[in-house]
Amino acid sequence: MNLAEGVQTISFALLALMMIGAALGVVLLDNIVYSAFLLGGVFISISGLYLLLNADFVSAAQILIYVGAVNVLILFAIMLVNKREDFSPVPRRWIRKGGAALVSVGLFALLGTMVVQTPWVIPANLPATTSTLIILGEHFFSDYLLPFELASVLLLMALVGAVVLARREYVLDDEASVGEMPQLPLQLPERPKEPVALSGTSAPSR
Amino acid sequence: MDFANLASQLNAGAILPEGIVIITLLVVLIADLIVGRAADRWTPYVAIAGLLAAVGALYLGWNRLETVSFLGSFNSDNLSLVFRGIIALATVVTILMSIRYVEQTGSDLGEYLTILLSATLGAMFLSGSEELVMIFISLETLSIASYLMTGYMKRDLRSNEAALKYLLIGAASSAIFLYGSSLLYGLSGGSTSLAGIAAGIANSSQSLGVLISLVFVIAGISFKISAVPFHQWTPDVYEGAPTPVVAFLSVASKAAGFALAVRFMTIAFPSVSDQWQFIFTALAILSMILGNVVAIAQTSMKRMLAYSSIGQAGFVMIGFVIGTESGYASMLFYLLIYLFMNLGAFTCIILFSLRTGTDQISDYAGLYQKDPLLTLALSICLLSLGGIPPLAGFFGKLYLFWAGWQAGAYGLVILGLLTSVVSIYYYIRVVKMMVVKEPQEMSETIKNYPALSWKPFGMRPLQVGLILTLITTSLAGILSNPLFNLVNASVADVPLFEAAVPIRPAAPVSLQVPATPLSAVVPQSAPQAQTLNVNLRS
Amino acid sequence: MQLNLFLLLAVALFCIGIYGLITSRNAVRVLMSIELMLNAVNINLLAFSNYLDGQSIRGQVFAVFIITVAAAEAAVGLAIILSIYRNRDTVDMEKFNVLKW
Repeated sequence: MNLAEGVQTISFALLALMMIGAALGVVLLDNIVYSAFLLGGVFISISGLYLLLNADFVSAAQILIYVGAVNVLILFAIMLVNKREDFSPVPRRWIRKGGAALVSVGLFALLGTMVVQTPWVIPANLPATTSTLIILGEHFFSDYLLPFELASVLLLMALVGAVVLARREYVLDDEASVGEMPQLPLQLPERPKEPVALSGTSAPSR
Repeated sequence: MDFANLASQLNAGAILPEGIVIITLLVVLIADLIVGRAADRWTPYVAIAGLLAAVGALYLGWNRLETVSFLGSFNSDNLSLVFRGIIALATVVTILMSIRYVEQTGSDLGEYLTILLSATLGAMFLSGSEELVMIFISLETLSIASYLMTGYMKRDLRSNEAALKYLLIGAASSAIFLYGSSLLYGLSGGSTSLAGIAAGIANSSQSLGVLISLVFVIAGISFKISAVPFHQWTPDVYEGAPTPVVAFLSVASKAAGFALAVRFMTIAFPSVSDQWQFIFTALAILSMILGNVVAIAQTSMKRMLAYSSIGQAGFVMIGFVIGTESGYASMLFYLLIYLFMNLGAFTCIILFSLRTGTDQISDYAGLYQKDPLLTLALSICLLSLGGIPPLAGFFGKLYLFWAGWQAGAYGLVILGLLTSVVSIYYYIRVVKMMVVKEPQEMSETIKNYPALSWKPFGMRPLQVGLILTLITTSLAGILSNPLFNLVNASVADVPLFEAAVPIRPAAPVSLQVPATPLSAVVPQSAPQAQTLNVNLRS
Repeated sequence: MQLNLFLLLAVALFCIGIYGLITSRNAVRVLMSIELMLNAVNINLLAFSNYLDGQSIRGQVFAVFIITVAAAEAAVGLAIILSIYRNRDTVDMEKFNVLKW
């Protein structure tokens, strides 16, 4: 084992331990804020793993997007819905937890066996490329052009939709209908009795 | 690689219909942005015009010589054309029924149309995608748009809750689908095109890895077509989501799911065709039984239609699993018919709930006395869904079962017939309830039924949609010949099904550029790559 | 062999994500679990891309697309959670039972 190999092995082991530990923390800890920060830890260790896999650009993107955007977004959401809330205990909850653990372990065993058994066809003598950025760019503008363009529509739509859903509406506009009959009985199930913002925090009973 | 060369390689004309939809989407969005609410008067018609133009463009693309476009990402063959036509038409009818609904609930119409059009776009691209990344992106465009539309009535608890459940289950299922896709990428030795995957896994077809990825991919697809073990979201989402959205999901989203299933299974998994046919047979059996039996017990109209649509998906899967040419043709034919009859039923439900604000089945009692047109339309659509003879649904089922019988799937066909009888029971129950004679059996809602008026904004398009679906549902069965020729032609010309056993060559990749310089550069400047390579060899 | 190690790591992460998906009561935590699953897929793709497809790294392209979509999905998911929180004043999955589950 030469030096480079040793460094790689050790960093792999460290990153893997960090990642698994943090991921377990994300799903097991009670405090959601700790979970969110540990999620950031998972993302960072994964980006380290990407470096080991010669994926410099994706590793940077992982940090920028997952840690910089998604994780911060999740933290914001936690702060926005931050009401100290003690979930009322549900009877026989441990059965479900045990079942879930059993399912996960079983799935791990199945997939693990599959990974170990499958003879992955590794081409010999083909060194991984180092100019990933150039090749990625060429992919985006040649054989992955169509998904690349469609992704822009997806992002636009997600943007518009997220704004519409998350926007708080203080008053119900009276000009709800551009047509006639603005004072319909409005007995539609979708129509609330009063705007939520005015009714305070009390959830409408239904 | 110069530009003209690239443009000709892309064969961009194949996505002209989708281009029209994108332009329509942008026009609607920007008009809504600039003009404001006043634009609501005409943006729906712009959207409808754009979609009809897209259907026209689809028609022009019939029998295109060069179908593969964007270097193998997209295939605009006749099969995809029919699926895309179904999706675009479903969106047109959905818009017709949405206008009044969205207005009356006080939501924004412009954004609604934008999201609906992008869902359509995703579904249309999904019907022709032949490459994992493209499939993933179009699938997600469709899915995310569906989540957003489901939660669009954001002041309504049930809409919120349906959206949250749909999003969580949907995102989990797409993660599972992706895991299967990533395994396929590895098993095929680094190919993301479906044909390349088929070539890559041809030798190791019975291995555990291929089977697991097959199961994972089918799980992701079955979620979209809500086949039975993966159907749990359907009743909740159908009950909670705004009704026009439910109509869209039950037709367009499902059609896209079937298009994906056909393409993915026949191109990527010809070597394990026994296995996937077995899995889909099981899904079809479960869907037919559970969908139709549970629908009997429902009291809410939307929930009943949700379970009935699960059962209908089971019928459609018969045409898919038998794998013959006439099977695929009958499946397409049934989807075309199903488009009109199901959307017709939803138009009626929307009309009823706009006037009364309820969708309980018991509230429909005695509707015939007050609104004969609505009763007639709803009865015809429901009877057609059940498969009563002169209507379109009967011929759809006839072709499906006939194709299944010819292919020797006797058990499936008999089960289909039995569950059809069950389904007729709960459809007729609604019809019977509507036409009760005695005034004392009338429900309270019907006694207070408002006077008929088509005047308010958005009612005319609703009426147009109602009449259109009514006429098509009544006549499409008797005059089904042109439709049947269409679907036959669409599956006949496609090499897809002849190639269900042999494998097509992978799409040509035009990335020769990195090949030469890299091999020269790498050895000097890549210590890490080298060490990794050393590891590999040892 | 190192490829297997990466793949096993991805399997572990995927299964942890599944566990969190089933057991979490906080809707935000369910979203986090889904992010874990998507990251497991990305590890898979990058490992394959490095060891099997080192020349044209399609797996990396795929992973970039997944990251993009995951961000959009997280944004939409949190918007939906916000709107349900306004109406219900809770993010407890057990209490979202207006619809029969």
